Amino acid sequence: MARITAGVASSHIPALGVASDFDKTEDDYWRPAFAGYEWTKAWEREQKPDVVILVYNDHASAFDMRIIPTFAIGCAEEFQPADEGWGPREVPVVKGHPDLAWHIAQSCILDEFDMTIINEMEVDHGLTVPLSMMFGKPEAWPARVIPLAVNVVTYPPPSGNRCWALGEAIAKAVESYPEDLNVQIWGTGGMSHQLQGPRAGLINREWDNRFLDRLEGDTDELRHIPHIEYLRETGSEGIEMVMWLIMRGALGKRTRTLHRHYHVPASNTAVGHIVLEPA
Amino acid sequence: MSGPKDIHEYLAEFDDIPGTLVFTARRARQGYQMNQFAMSLMKPENRERWKADERAYLDEWAMSEEQKQAILDRDYNRCLELGGNIYFLAKVFSTDGKSFAQAVSTMSGMSFEDYQAMMIAGGRSPEGQRSIKEGR
Repeated sequence: MARITAGVASSHIPALGVASDFDKTEDDYWRPAFAGYEWTKAWEREQKPDVVILVYNDHASAFDMRIIPTFAIGCAEEFQPADEGWGPREVPVVKGHPDLAWHIAQSCILDEFDMTIINEMEVDHGLTVPLSMMFGKPEAWPARVIPLAVNVVTYPPPSGNRCWALGEAIAKAVESYPEDLNVQIWGTGGMSHQLQGPRAGLINREWDNRFLDRLEGDTDELRHIPHIEYLRETGSEGIEMVMWLIMRGALGKRTRTLHRHYHVPASNTAVGHIVLEPA
Repeated sequence: MSGPKDIHEYLAEFDDIPGTLVFTARRARQGYQMNQFAMSLMKPENRERWKADERAYLDEWAMSEEQKQAILDRDYNRCLELGGNIYFLAKVFSTDGKSFAQAVSTMSGMSFEDYQAMMIAGGRSPEGQRSIKEGR
């Protein structure tokens, strides 16, 4: 039987990918941001997950304004890194797990989550930066990846409550998959940041850390935070944190923190990272 | 439930955030052509045509004259007011060889150096930046 063994959350700031690709991670500016991922890189080498369900948002790469799916699951054999305007990142192709992905899609739809199924898709920094942060620079990614793209760009994005509940449905789907697989779920994006307008550069260290605090234990307060609170407190792009709640929802009633990291800034953004396991 | 009870109330609150334009359905509709133009710069052959003659390339799109001028001026705050979305506009500044931080600093009215220094010092404080009405 497949099982979700751990949850990982991380920012997916494009500049982290650039720093990794061009070997700048030891520069004074980048070292403290990357240092907080060393623990996780070593831990992932031991854990050897078979599959990562990677929750992220597409940044006008695979989806343009023609089609805006709220929850889209990638069921392809593989996903190429997207050209985001400066050429594709030189990272390995992302290998999918179509059989488990389709299983999750079917199970979630029967569970009343109306998923969009994607059979061809390129993946942008939202998905490939977390892979670099957790796995470094291997020849091939050490796990299969199921992309789960969430609309957090055009309002309204899904509520935190809906994201949490989707996580619960995904966990149920994984548990009913017959093959013995070690599955992790990653929630990405955030933490506080605003990339637009005169308020650009907003960071809310206190709010972000209270969010990290409440990912642990048996509280489900986070699922009730309304969109307006993310907008006021964490900048216009802080709303990405609803994607962390899909990860949290999939871990069940209670969690334990294995590792936690917070650093300001990376480019315009507060870097947040946490590793949780069901407790 | 964390969902709003009333859609009008939900949308009205977005206008109360200082220095921020939330990408609502109204803006998505207004900016559709501008965002799709920006999206077209994902293709290297389109980037070449765009660089060769920006005005001629823009004229292939059903954008308003104001939208075209805002793009030519790289006036990103104006682009946002006219329905642009930052992730789409990113294709324009990426094609210019500019980073997110460089482009974002122009919207904050700060020099890139001052903006970077603010970020290294911990970013812009949320104090006084949460609500126009409540001044908090």
